[in-house]
Parts: sequence; structure tokens; C-alpha cells
Amino acid sequence: MSKVDPILLSVYARTFKAITDEMSISVEKTARSPILCEAKDFVTGLYDGEGNMLEQTENLPILAFSLAPVCKYIIDYFGDDIHEGDAIFHNDVFSMGNQNNDVAVYKPIFHEGELVAWTAVKGHQADIGGAVAGGYNPNATEVWQEALRIPPVKVYDKGVLRKDVWELIFANVRLDIVEHDMRAQMGATVIGERRLIALLDKYGVESYQDHKLALFDSTRKMMEAEIEKIPNGTYYGEGYVYYDGHHLGSEFTIRVTIEVKDNHIKFDYSETDDQTNGFVNGTFTSSASATILTLLQMVNPDIPHNEGMVEPIAIIIPEGTLLNASYPKATTFGNHICPPNADAIMKALAPAIPDRITAGWNHLLCSLTAGMDDEKGDRYVDIFFLGQKGGSGGMQGTDGYDHIGMIDASGGVLTQDYEMFEQQTPHVLNLHEYAIDTAGAGQWRGGIGTETIYTIGSDDTQFVTFGDGDFIPAFGLFEGQDSTLNSIVLTFPDGTEKTPNNKDLWTGVPKGTVYHQFAGGGGGYGDPKKRDREKLTAEIRDGLISEDAAKEIYGLGA
Amino acid sequence: MKIGIDVGGTFTDFFLVKDGEAPLIHKTLSTPEDLSIAVLEGMKDLAGMMEPAMSPENFAKELDTIVHGTTVTTNATLTRRGAKSALLTTKGLRDALEMRRGIREEQYNNRYTNVVPLAERYLRTGVGGRLDRNGKELEPLSKQDILDAIELYKKEGVEAISICFMNAFANPEHEQAAAEIVRQELPDAYLTVSTELLPSIRFYERVSTTALNTYVGPILSHYLGQLKNRLKDIGFGGILLIMQSNGGVMSPEIAERKPAQTLLSGPAGGPGAGLIYAQAHDQNKCLTVDMGGTSFEASMAVDSPIMVNDGEIDRHRIALPMLGIHTIGAGGGSVGWIDKGGLLRMGPESAGANPGPVCYQKGGVKPATTDANLVLGYLNPGFFAGGKIELNINAARAAIEEHIAKPLNLSIEKAAAGMYRIACNNMAQGVREITIKRGFDPREFPMIVAGGAGPIHSCLICNELEIPFQIVPRESSILCAVGMLMGDLKHDFVRTFVSPLKTVDWDKLRGVFDEMSAEGASMLSEEGIDPANQEFYLKFDCRYLKQYHEVSFVMPNDIVEKRDADAVAKAFHAEHNRLYGYSLDELDVAIEIINVRVQAIGQTDKPVFQEIERVAEDPSAALKGERSVYLPETQEFAEVPIYDGHKLQYGHKVLGPAMIEEVTTAIFVSDSFDCIVDQLGSFVLYRKGREDLVEGTLKGAVA
Repeated sequence: MSKVDPILLSVYARTFKAITDEMSISVEKTARSPILCEAKDFVTGLYDGEGNMLEQTENLPILAFSLAPVCKYIIDYFGDDIHEGDAIFHNDVFSMGNQNNDVAVYKPIFHEGELVAWTAVKGHQADIGGAVAGGYNPNATEVWQEALRIPPVKVYDKGVLRKDVWELIFANVRLDIVEHDMRAQMGATVIGERRLIALLDKYGVESYQDHKLALFDSTRKMMEAEIEKIPNGTYYGEGYVYYDGHHLGSEFTIRVTIEVKDNHIKFDYSETDDQTNGFVNGTFTSSASATILTLLQMVNPDIPHNEGMVEPIAIIIPEGTLLNASYPKATTFGNHICPPNADAIMKALAPAIPDRITAGWNHLLCSLTAGMDDEKGDRYVDIFFLGQKGGSGGMQGTDGYDHIGMIDASGGVLTQDYEMFEQQTPHVLNLHEYAIDTAGAGQWRGGIGTETIYTIGSDDTQFVTFGDGDFIPAFGLFEGQDSTLNSIVLTFPDGTEKTPNNKDLWTGVPKGTVYHQFAGGGGGYGDPKKRDREKLTAEIRDGLISEDAAKEIYGLGA
Repeated sequence: MKIGIDVGGTFTDFFLVKDGEAPLIHKTLSTPEDLSIAVLEGMKDLAGMMEPAMSPENFAKELDTIVHGTTVTTNATLTRRGAKSALLTTKGLRDALEMRRGIREEQYNNRYTNVVPLAERYLRTGVGGRLDRNGKELEPLSKQDILDAIELYKKEGVEAISICFMNAFANPEHEQAAAEIVRQELPDAYLTVSTELLPSIRFYERVSTTALNTYVGPILSHYLGQLKNRLKDIGFGGILLIMQSNGGVMSPEIAERKPAQTLLSGPAGGPGAGLIYAQAHDQNKCLTVDMGGTSFEASMAVDSPIMVNDGEIDRHRIALPMLGIHTIGAGGGSVGWIDKGGLLRMGPESAGANPGPVCYQKGGVKPATTDANLVLGYLNPGFFAGGKIELNINAARAAIEEHIAKPLNLSIEKAAAGMYRIACNNMAQGVREITIKRGFDPREFPMIVAGGAGPIHSCLICNELEIPFQIVPRESSILCAVGMLMGDLKHDFVRTFVSPLKTVDWDKLRGVFDEMSAEGASMLSEEGIDPANQEFYLKFDCRYLKQYHEVSFVMPNDIVEKRDADAVAKAFHAEHNRLYGYSLDELDVAIEIINVRVQAIGQTDKPVFQEIERVAEDPSAALKGERSVYLPETQEFAEVPIYDGHKLQYGHKVLGPAMIEEVTTAIFVSDSFDCIVDQLGSFVLYRKGREDLVEGTLKGAVA
């Protein structure tokens, strides 16, 4: 065993991070779908020969923490049959995938004939087959109505393209850009491979293996030290999910019991409601990712992201619950159960660490349009990232972040550029601004929500909603107030107004229909009457808080 | 006679060249209250340094050209001291500037707050009027909305106004009509019209760039006014030029119109200067690294310095072509610390110049890179800054022991060596950012080393990256000022021109090229450049159909005559492959043009460097003594010879390991390198056994 050198250890840690960052830039610059290159709805990662996480670049964290479990699954699945030059696709939610549309490429990396590492890139594809373009099918009750299932499959075998397999996959996908986007993802795994091999050539495999273990160890210690700062105890919290896509008025509860003992933390979701009959179901990895990313909001943000970070965390989610659906349930909405899961955790830990949790974040309510851009004669699918960004919750000493969007991404996913949105779709954007009085009031207010209006630009548009937050607001804490609600209303050319359900699918929406969305703010923290008066005055001047609200809720002039 | 002047936060650097004489170098402390004071003081100092000494007035009279780099706009942005700014934009879209597309750069940090916008919300006004994506009018411009806004701006004392409308890249008419009204109603306000500054697609990029331009405009105008007055007072009648972020220079009048072009003015001289020293070795490419007190800048040149089409300043997007200079928080003042997992880290926190590293004994308590350098023997405690600052090695050792050695259970020397190595690794990562990440192999480039602290670390950086060849110019401590005299007048133009490459309308393309060239020609003529010295370069931004980001590449101008789309496609495939590891050449995927760019260049007279006289190889006349110095290759201390850099001349050969000391810098020649002084007086370090790299310099040695 080579000796672990504390200095070389830092060199490894930095280089791993540089590798996954470089992979991320490569995808961003070469992909075609705006979901990938504008919104950055993808992650890149580096894993050791056993599939343990070495480092990740997590533009969208909810995707990230299922990469390592799938890597381990792939290693088991192929056993001896893993070779230099292989490239493996995967999206299957019943073999540790998090969402059907999140399709990953894995590339095994060999050094002197030995499997030493993997690079992986997972991105949200604009389409992956199934009944509805774009993948969000609120009518689905089983996985086949949602997407093409891709259990681990080699598309390259020892460096040779399996043309038949490739064509089988893409024959089942609506948009040709997806094929090119998977090529862009493969390109990034090659870039990661080149860099890691250069590192191994320099220091040797033995040094790499030893330092890797030391890095896990050092990271685990950091995480344990953070957990130790949470007082020992058992904490309980709830989060709520509204509507399963089939039964109007249906409600579901996430129940988490958190046990903190010295330097370990356990999240037990055993009491959570049963799975639904619709697509409002989590997978184990999407739900566990939600747990981890919420915990990461409460600890030192500088902790490296590798296997050592997750070691002190135990997560129990029984199969058959809302957060871990059993085969063959539909699950596409699963990523978006992250916000209520985060609510449950924040509420549970609020009494224990009031200075580190935030009030409630705005829950995602999003929509998607698909159809023909008649002027360009081109099909398009657009996830409307522009409308969905509400505020984050306030915390002790800091206001919530305005227009940040769902906690699953925490500001890692971007809205489309306005002009690019109008180039990529036939729609015309009329309004996208901060919305007054949307933030939950507080000494530290919630982040501000947004109002968005656009006009649909071609006939026969397919329109899908997926989300929540239109029944209950983001919660306030410690006398801080709740935020406003999410809403979407469509006004048809004949003047009729219609409110879609928060999971809905319409077809044939005509040109000229006006889409109007509010994304709510974040919850407030602390007594609004104690809010800094100078800030409040500026917010009135800037039209972010009304004079009435300032008087009545914040007690200005009282 | 010409001077390059680089006004930095701490020092103002001067580089003077006069035909037939050795260049003069000078450094003076900057005067933050009015930066033009230090410029004048330094010039008076220089007058006194001439042989024979001159009066400031005579000096000013003999001066033909001053090229000036300034951080005045950079600092105004970083310290939020720009103009009170307003924004006229399309109704319903006034928050784009502040929303920044909803990014929070630190995803897991709930204490991380958004940047303060460059125009406050109540001064951002949505105006009626709308164009569609093709530039066709959907709704006429509301003049009344503009007049109402102007009333408010007058009342609020707004100094500067931006105009940026949705889809204006496709049709600037609404912006021009709005500008007309503003010019009439508020003639004294500084005005930026987005399509005059940046007529290209992407609303956020354009509004952010426009707002930055507006924000720093009045500050730059004020500063240039002061400077011009002071120069006039001493009788300067020559040409004053301002360094731009793109490595070129421009007249003060154009700088006042495009102040956002000066946001990188300070470090922009470095890459071009680096190239000159590389050219002395028949190399037309190089990496340039510049390590100062708090930051480390890395850049690259191939034939000319590498450009990027956009970047960021203080988290504000700026989409103007600029040199691809990568800055990281690593300098002599970078502080060492142990993170919670027990890993040693260096920076980005810096002790700066005040309190400075512990060894300065000005109150610093945390060990910095400079402290480690002192413990490792790279710095001479009695000869730092030529003896002006005395360094206390015991204080440095004590701080390293307490903060690094004890927690890691290492000896003080090992801990210092670790700090040195991590600092070098950070800088090597910075070099990777500009090379490997852009598809270049750093081993193929000579590395030009600048900045006071650079040449102590460059050997280890080169070992990390396997770079065999480095050059430390005599002027390394003021390299950017040198570069300022090497810049041509340079203006960049861009037009969004969306079209499939195969079916491109060549007449229209030619029209756009001619239009931008004419605009460039008129600017250059305004700056007094004869048409014979004007050049125009054509660039395409292309992508595969439905890709989102473009790849930029240069094409010969005659492509608009030859109408050769295949040649453009070929160049695009090659560049895409180089950058991203693949191209879709064989799949026959359609290519589309997004932007067409023109760079207009006006050639300036460059100073000619004097070659110095050749001497024999033996450097013993310059030997000062010996000192114990840490050798990273063997991880041990050894006695190495110390040379007086000022006595080393063309042809002298120093075998590593060795130290070379100059007043403003120290050069560490590690165990892996040997050094020879070249015809420009630069110290050229080449990997042992690689004499082939300096064949030209070695040839014709004097016996």
C-alpha cells in the first residue's frame, strides 16, 4: 500500500472536481435541447471501479444521487462482461433510476487492463417515447404509458456501435435532437475519461486507490462533524401532496421521523402514505436524492460530494409508499415530490436547528407545450422553465432568494432566455416579472415569486401541467407568514377562462390562447413587524411589497 | 518616445521605450482618490530618470504616445460605485436584469444572496411597443411611456440610461426612436442603446452588457477628463490611447462610448506582451501567467491572444469579445488553512498588501504563500523588494507551525512545502482552465512568467503540466504595461444573421460584412489611422442545426467573393472537434450560422526591442553566494547558488537548482530546469536535457 500524502490528497480532490466540471461544460456547449443547454437539467459524475461516487457536478441535484446506485447496479448486472470502449444507457426507474426522462450514459474506464472508474452523464431528455410528447403523462397508471424503459443496455460494445440497439431505442423517441443529445452526453464521458487516465498515468493506480479511500474518510469526518452539531433526538415532520392526476381533491402525506444520534442521522419514512394509482409516485432514488439535497442545505456547503458524504446518512423508505413505488407503477412526477419531502424535513428540524433551516420553499408548478412551429415547419417540445420560479424560504438572518425555483434544483436550473424562447417556440412572451406581495412576510421574508404571461403561437398545441403548490402555500416559521399560492389560468381566444388541474393534459389548444401563471413566494421567517425598515421602504418603492401590506402585515408606521 | 501605463489597485506601472535606448521600468504607489495623480507623479519620476534628466515639460513634449490601462471601471463595478442608472425596456420584462435567469451560483448555500442590480427596480421602466422574433412590429412604441419615465428620472437625478428592447437584434428601430427622445429630453444623461453596443440575440446577455456599459460610462468619462487635463497641463500633445478588454487599444473618445470595453483593461496587456518574448524564440504561441499579491491570471495566445465572446464581472454577464484571461484567487498573499476534513487549502482569502503575510510583520497572523516561500528559502529576507521590506522568517515559521504543521502533524518545512505545492497546484488548475478545457495541450506552449511572485512557482507549475519551457522577461513585474505598447487599435462588431449555411444568401452576408467593415473603417479613421493600415477580419458563429451554443472561427475575407459554403463547413467541423472531442462531419448534419462578426484593426507603430550584447556562458561573475533552498523534486533542502539577476547577460547559463534575485522578483530554477539568458535579457528556463528548445540562443556562444 502506498502511503497517503495529505498534499497529494488535495490534488486528487481538486482534480476530480475539475473533471466533472469540464464534463458539464462539454454537455452545455454541445447539446441541442434547451432543457439541457439553457436550463442545465443534467448532471455529470465520476465513480470508482465499484461505483462509489468520487465527485459530481450537480446542476440539478435531484438527478445526481441516483447515479452511484445505478452504477453499482450496472456493475452487478454485467459482471465480467464490462470492457474498454463500452457505453451503457440507462433510465429504468425499477433498477434505481430516478425518472424515465432522465437518461444516463455510463462509460467504464480502464487502466492497464483494470476497471478503475466510471464516468457518467445523466440529462433530462426532451422526449423518451411513451404516450405523451415530453414524458409528463398525468393519465398514466403504469410505466409503459410513460416512457420507453431502458434497463442497462450497451450501445457501444468494445468501441463498436451496436447499430441495431441504437436504432431500436431512437425508433421509439419522437424528436431527433434526443439522439444528438445522447451523443453530446457520450462526448462528455469521453472527456472525463481522458482526464482521469492522464491522472492515473501520472500517479499510478495504487496511489489513486489509496487516496480515494482517504478522501472518502476525510469527507465522512466533515459530514459527521456537521451532523454532530444537530442536538441528539427524534424529530417528526410532515409534507403534503395534492392530487394524484386521477382523483380530484386527493391528498397525500409524507411523514418523516428523523433520528439524530451523535454523528449519524437516520430518515425513516415508514409512516408515509401508500403509493397512488397515478404518476404521483417517487422512486427510491428520487426520494433519497430529495432527502440528501435537503440535508445539504443545512450543512457546510464546502463538503466535497463523494461516497464519504453520504455514509453517515441512513434513509428508510419502504416499497409501496408514495416515495418508493412498486413495479410497475407510473412515477414521472416523482422528482417533484421533492418539495413536500423537503418541507417535512425542514419542519422536523426547525426546533433543533432554528438557525440553519429555512421556511418553506415554493413548490414547483410547471407546464409543457408541444406541437408544430408552423412558421418554421418544425416540431418543438418546451418545458416552460420561465414561469415556474418562485421564492425560497427565509432563514434567520437572510431573506429567501427571489425567483430561484424549486428546492430540487436550488437555483441550478435556469429559465430560458426570452429571445431564445421565442426562437425555439412559436409563442410570444408578454410578461415575466416579480409579483408584488407574493413573498411570505417575515423579519426575513421569503423569496419573491413571479408572474408570467405568454400567448400560444400555433394551433393544436399539446398542453401539460405538472406540479403542486396551488392548494397550500410555502409555510412560514417562527411568526413568519405563509406565501401566496401557485396558479395557472388559460384564456382561450373566445374569452373563456379555464384553470387546469395541477397535473393535467390538454390537446388542441388553439393559437392566441393566453397563458397566465403565478409562481408563489417563499415562506417568511420571524415576526414581520421586526423587519428592517430601510429594506421595507425600498421594497415599497420598488413595487415588491404594497403599502397596504407594509402597514397591515409589517406594521409600518404603527 | 512611448509609455505604457498600467494603473492597478496597489501600484501604477510604467514602461518607457525610446528608439535606440534601453527601456525604462518604473513603479509608483497608486492614488485611489484620484488615479490620475499617480500617473502624473510617475511621469515626473521618469523624466528625472532619463539620461540626462529632463524637466517634466520637456519630457511631455518628447512623448509621442501614451497607452493607458485602467481598472477604474472594474473597481467601480466591484465596489458598486457606478452611476445612478435607469433602464428603458420592453413592458413586462424589466426584471430580467436582476433575475439573471434565476441562477444561484452556490446551490446549497442559503446565506448566498443575489447581486445588487445595476439599475434599481423603480428605475427600470417597461415601455409599450413590441417586435416579434423576426423584428416585425406587433405593437407600436409608446412615446408617452418614455416621456413619463423621463419625468421620474429627472426627479430622481438619474445620471445614465440604458435602452434595451425585446427582439431589437432583429430590428433596432424602436430602440433608435426611444434614444432620440432621451437625447432630446435628457441631453446630459449618459446613454447606451443595446443594439449600438451589441446587436446580437440573447436578451439577458444584451441587457446585462448594456446596463454595465451605462453603469461605468460616467465614471470613465470623468476619469478620462481628469487625466486629459493633467496631461494638457504639463504640455503633452501626443496621442493618448486606452487599453481594451480585447487586447486592442482605442481613443479616449470611443472609450467613452463603449466603456464596458475597458472592464478588463488592466490585465489585457499581458497576453500580447507574452507573445513578444515567445517570438524571440521563433514561437508564435505561448501561455502567459501573472501572479500578483491576491490573484493569478492565466491566458493563452496562438498567433494572437485567444479571445472569448462573453464572460462575467462580479456575477454580471458581459457579452463583448474580450481576451480569455482566467483569474483565480491565488497570489503571494493567499492564506493557508485546514478544512474540516483535515485537508490543506490555500486561498482564496488573501492577506493582500495590508496586513500582508505574517513575515511582513504588519499585523498578519495567518500564514500566506509568501511565508511558505520564505521558509523554503525562495525569498531572501534581506533583499525583498531590493531590501525595502524586511521579512521576519521566525514569525513566518511560528505561524506555519501553529496553523498548518501541528494540525497535520508535519514538520514546519514539510508544511511549508505543502502550502507551496497546493498553491502551485491551484495555479496549474488555472492554466488547465485556459488550455485543456479549450482543447489545447499546455505542453506545446512556452510559458511566459510574470508578476513579482510568479517565477518562484513556475517550475512546479510546469512540472505539474509537463511544460518544458518557460521565459521570465526582465520586465516580468510590469508585463501588462509592456503589452500596452504592443496593442493595435481594435474594434469588434457583431450582427445576428440566422441562416442555414447551405442556403445562405451570400449577397446579404456580403452586405453585413461590408456594413460592419465600413463602421470599423470610420472609427479607425476617426482615430487617425490611414486606410493602408486598416485590416478587417471576418468571423462566423455557427452550430449544428438545433444546437444551442455556437462555435466561433475566423474565415478569410475572400470567402464572401468565393461563396464557398463547404469551406466554412469544413472549418466549423474542425473547430467543433477540437473543442468537444467530436464532430458530425460524416453524419451530414445541417449547420446554421447565428452571428457574423468583423474585427477591425488599425496597425500602430510598435517599439523595437534592443538586442543586448552576447557574453560567455560562465555566470560566476554574477554569483552572490549560496543558500539552503527547498527542492520540490527531491523534497529536500539543499545549498544552491544565488545569482544577481542584474549582472546576468545574454548568453549566461545558470544550471538548476539555483536562485536568481532581482529587485522586483526572484526566480527559482528548480532541479528539473537549466536557464540561459536570451537576446532580450529574458531568463529562459528549459527542462534539463531539452537544449533543443533553446538551440537558437545556445548557438554562436562566445568563448
